[in-house]
Amino acid sequence: MSGGSKSTQKNLPKFYEQDLQQGMDFAQDVAAVGYTPYYGPDVAAFSPMQNASFDSTNMMAGAFNMPTADPANYMPEPTTFANGIQGYSSAPLYGEAVDALAANRPGQKNYIDSFFVDPVTGAPGANQPSAQPVQYEMTAKRGK
Amino acid sequence: MAGGANPNNVTPPANVNPFNAAAMAQGVAMDRVGQGLTATAADGMSNYTNPYETQVVEATLRDVGSQAEMGMNNLAAQAQQAKAFGGSRHGIAMSELGKSFNQQALDQAARLRQQGFTTALGASQTDMATQLGAAGQLAGLGQQAFNYGKDIQNQQMVQGALQQQLSQALIDAAKGQYAGYTGAPGNALQQIISALAGAPSSAGQLAGETEKYQPGLFNFLQVAASA
Repeated sequence: MSGGSKSTQKNLPKFYEQDLQQGMDFAQDVAAVGYTPYYGPDVAAFSPMQNASFDSTNMMAGAFNMPTADPANYMPEPTTFANGIQGYSSAPLYGEAVDALAANRPGQKNYIDSFFVDPVTGAPGANQPSAQPVQYEMTAKRGK
Repeated sequence: MAGGANPNNVTPPANVNPFNAAAMAQGVAMDRVGQGLTATAADGMSNYTNPYETQVVEATLRDVGSQAEMGMNNLAAQAQQAKAFGGSRHGIAMSELGKSFNQQALDQAARLRQQGFTTALGASQTDMATQLGAAGQLAGLGQQAFNYGKDIQNQQMVQGALQQQLSQALIDAAKGQYAGYTGAPGNALQQIISALAGAPSSAGQLAGETEKYQPGLFNFLQVAASA
């Protein structure tokens, strides 16, 4: 037995390795964006005609000495957005919930935040993937 | 009038809302119908009693009395002519004439009083029927007013919901645009992933090959022997 052995290894073309690297880099950058809350209206407010309908129902009940209800006691005043659209946004409730998380479980909240860029300054998060680079074992030059 | 609440006298204010009008009509109608459960025509008869009835009766009695007097005088004259004045036959005739006029007076008075009673009773009964009928009509009008109000309220609700739906559609469209903006990086990544996922098959065809040779023990021995 001569003892020698011969093996054949297939290599990806360099252009594909570059594309793959760029794709991974891009994915890491995108993953670091984090959650982008929506601050616009979510639910349309009652229209003036609906409010008139509520008033009519109260008028109906009141005429027969039955209990009435002020719609304002159920829903807050709607916010007027662009184009005069009146509605309600879930943003304040969302913000309140995030603040509550920060107050009650700051460690967990900070850990979540560390995966993403700072939403105000844009500074990279401590644990976002691009902050922990790895050496690709590829023949092509990384990222180029 | 039989009862205290007369539907004929109820005039709802011109600008009252239909529900108040309905409630008012229903309340008045219920009161009147409730009164009708126990009220009788007797309650309203006094409204139709002729206040001059007694005077009429008295005048009639006077007329009967005058006629009686005239009749007595004629009888006396006839008795004198017959030279029977003061006799027993005259006395009997006078007595019979007096009884006749007394009966006439009583009959006339009773007839007049009966007529007044019947008139007052009929008028009071007519009033009761009219008032109960008006109460029923008022209840119907109240129902009508209530239905007007309810229909309008329903229209307000339906049309108001349409308006709200329009606003909601605008909001949803804006949210969709916003989601498109914030999701743009992710969408771009998806396109890249799709491109990379489809590439390996073609890349494989273009892949180069590298041959590697691992020397064995015999190779090393050959090298050592030739050295």
